[in-house]
Amino acid sequence: MDNNTNMDQVFEKLGELKSFFIFGQKIVPVIQSIIDFMRDVVPLMEYVNNSIQDSANKIPKAASQIHSVTNATEMATSEILDIVDSMSMDLSKIKNELADLKNGFFNQRVTLENFGNQNPNLNGQFAALQSGLCIDDLETKVVAMEEIVKKIEGDSNNITLSLQVQDITSQQLASVNHLIQSVQKRLAKLINDLSRKGPLDLNELESEDEDNKSSTFNPDARYDKSFEKQQLANELFDSGQKTSQDEIDKLFSK
Amino acid sequence: MALKFLVVDDSVTMRRIVANSLKAIGYESFVEAGDGREALSKLSADDSINFVITDWNMPEVSGLELVKSIRSTDKFAKLPILMVTTRGLKEDIMEALQARVNNYIVKPFTPQILREKIDQILASS
Repeated sequence: MDNNTNMDQVFEKLGELKSFFIFGQKIVPVIQSIIDFMRDVVPLMEYVNNSIQDSANKIPKAASQIHSVTNATEMATSEILDIVDSMSMDLSKIKNELADLKNGFFNQRVTLENFGNQNPNLNGQFAALQSGLCIDDLETKVVAMEEIVKKIEGDSNNITLSLQVQDITSQQLASVNHLIQSVQKRLAKLINDLSRKGPLDLNELESEDEDNKSSTFNPDARYDKSFEKQQLANELFDSGQKTSQDEIDKLFSK
Repeated sequence: MALKFLVVDDSVTMRRIVANSLKAIGYESFVEAGDGREALSKLSADDSINFVITDWNMPEVSGLELVKSIRSTDKFAKLPILMVTTRGLKEDIMEALQARVNNYIVKPFTPQILREKIDQILASS
């Protein structure tokens, strides 16, 4: 009886062993395919790692190029402002000269009238002299030139207004630089995790990031000549000035 | 009273543009600073400065921090301050108002707007 029981247990165990081998037969191809997959994926991971490292190495150059663009546009803007300044000085001189000319014509007219009054016998010749001097025509031309000078002054003011785009774009570029440096920092961490070679100095990146935290740029800076934001500022300041400081502080503490 | 302006901006271009605009509207006297810290040192060294025009986003000490520092001293509590900045969101403008900026210009601006704001500040002070 005991022998029969033991044999049953042996057969039961052999059955389990057989099931295990059948399961093994089924699982071996799966394990083989996992090994094959790993064999394929490891070079791919190395390629990805190298690509990320390569990209991370290029980022400082991109950031530096953006910085160079900002410097170049600032220099160019400064040169344009020099020219506008020089134009303004020349315009100022022209305005003074034109004013002198107008005064000169006025004096000529007064002198001529006095001369005519003192010499009433020169009637015909006096009229010819007046006509020959063309004071009225010349004065009209001076007035027209003054109008042109005013227009050029307005245009140079508009150039100055447009040059403010340099400050606005430099803030936008600084914002892009900040983003690039954030990406660089994340890539550096990723590379460290993948390869543990530590190709970039994370402490250095941290300090660069700290530098950017100081509010040196406005990421929302826009070159908008519609003056809508100015109107909003006007409204808020107009209503704010009618409100006491305590009321403004209360509004902010809510 | 003759006005002497302190123009504070980290952008050389903007300092020149503000200075040119001041000249265009008849104000010739001004000094410049590249950030809030330099501005504070110029303010304490030069008693003749009686009007501040400042940007907001600057290194070291920002325009808003500059305004708060100025307003925290009795000597400059009523010094006229005009902020000229790219920040045009309602929250920004309200924050400047709370810091007791006298008036506010959003870039880009014209010399006419600058004149208007200076006149408004002078009329109310």
